[in-house]
Amino acid sequence: MVAVTGAMPTDPERSRRTGDLVTAAARGDDAAWKALVEQFSGLIWSVTRAYRLASADAADVFQVTWLRLAEHIGRLEHPEHVGAWLATTARREALRASRASARVVLTDDDAVFDAREAGGETPEQAVLRSERADQLWRAFRTLPARCQMLLRLLMATPPPSYTEVAAALDRPVGSIGPTRARCLRLLREKLA
Amino acid sequence: MTYLWASGVLISYERQDRRRDVHDGPDDTRLEEELRELAARLEPVPDRLVQSALDAYAWRTIDAELAELAFDSLADQDAAALVRGQQQERLLSFRAAGLTIEVEVTAAGPARRLIGQLVPPRRAEVEIRHRDEVVTVATDEFGRFTADRIPSGPVSLRLGPTPGEGRSAVVTEWIPI
Repeated sequence: MVAVTGAMPTDPERSRRTGDLVTAAARGDDAAWKALVEQFSGLIWSVTRAYRLASADAADVFQVTWLRLAEHIGRLEHPEHVGAWLATTARREALRASRASARVVLTDDDAVFDAREAGGETPEQAVLRSERADQLWRAFRTLPARCQMLLRLLMATPPPSYTEVAAALDRPVGSIGPTRARCLRLLREKLA
Repeated sequence: MTYLWASGVLISYERQDRRRDVHDGPDDTRLEEELRELAARLEPVPDRLVQSALDAYAWRTIDAELAELAFDSLADQDAAALVRGQQQERLLSFRAAGLTIEVEVTAAGPARRLIGQLVPPRRAEVEIRHRDEVVTVATDEFGRFTADRIPSGPVSLRLGPTPGEGRSAVVTEWIPI
């Protein structure tokens, strides 16, 4: 990966790039698919985290979202909005999964299951040995559920657009900025 | 401003519609960035899932008709019925033009049993596609089929083309079972 600097592209330009990737992937371009996976895996994963899915459900939702895209890639009406399409698909599947598991058993957040299986110190324990990280994570976990959900989506890497976050929450895009400001202010108060 | 050069494609590292947020301030941007770094370290996307997303591309079908999920008892039945019933089987219905595929899913430990029906009934080979395998079963004269020991996880059914009827292949929407 090479970081370069330059002027920001305009909105339509960025959308066109994403749209071009979709069109290329629909034509069979492996590299374009890979670029989409790199661009949007973080967003889809953050949807499974925001909805607090257990590990098996999170894996199902993540996989089925990409399988759906593979099937729909040549049929998307707005290829340039594929991020919002993925976020919407992941949200619907997350809700389906929580409905299914609500009947079985409620599972605690186990995002670090991979490490636990491997034994030894979990990444969580290693990271949280830093005092600031520990403080920040604890404060985050005491925020109202609505705030945790919104922030967990915004925390995706690379940063998702507000349009994509709004699609993941099924909320109006205009509500994202004000709610984000309120939740970050609350978090800052808890840290003070 | 930073961009990432990934797979030969320039990706903007900052999403544009955020820049119009009048509520945003430098403190907010910094705090969100700090949270992002923490999330990336605490809850990274598992590598095996990234690999599964790359592999998903191989399942892409060309020229197949898509049978959309029209009914899922899990999602479409009212919550009260779900709680009352504690039903063991799940009913799925996929619809394409002039064809419905009904599937009943029952759990047997970690595996699933599928009992299906094509409407209108016809003899056909049904491919059950799950993760890295395809299981093929044949329908009987009434359009019924059964498949045992399908692992839980995403699944999709495929019916081959029937040139006699001028019908292309049909694939169902992927769904976790």
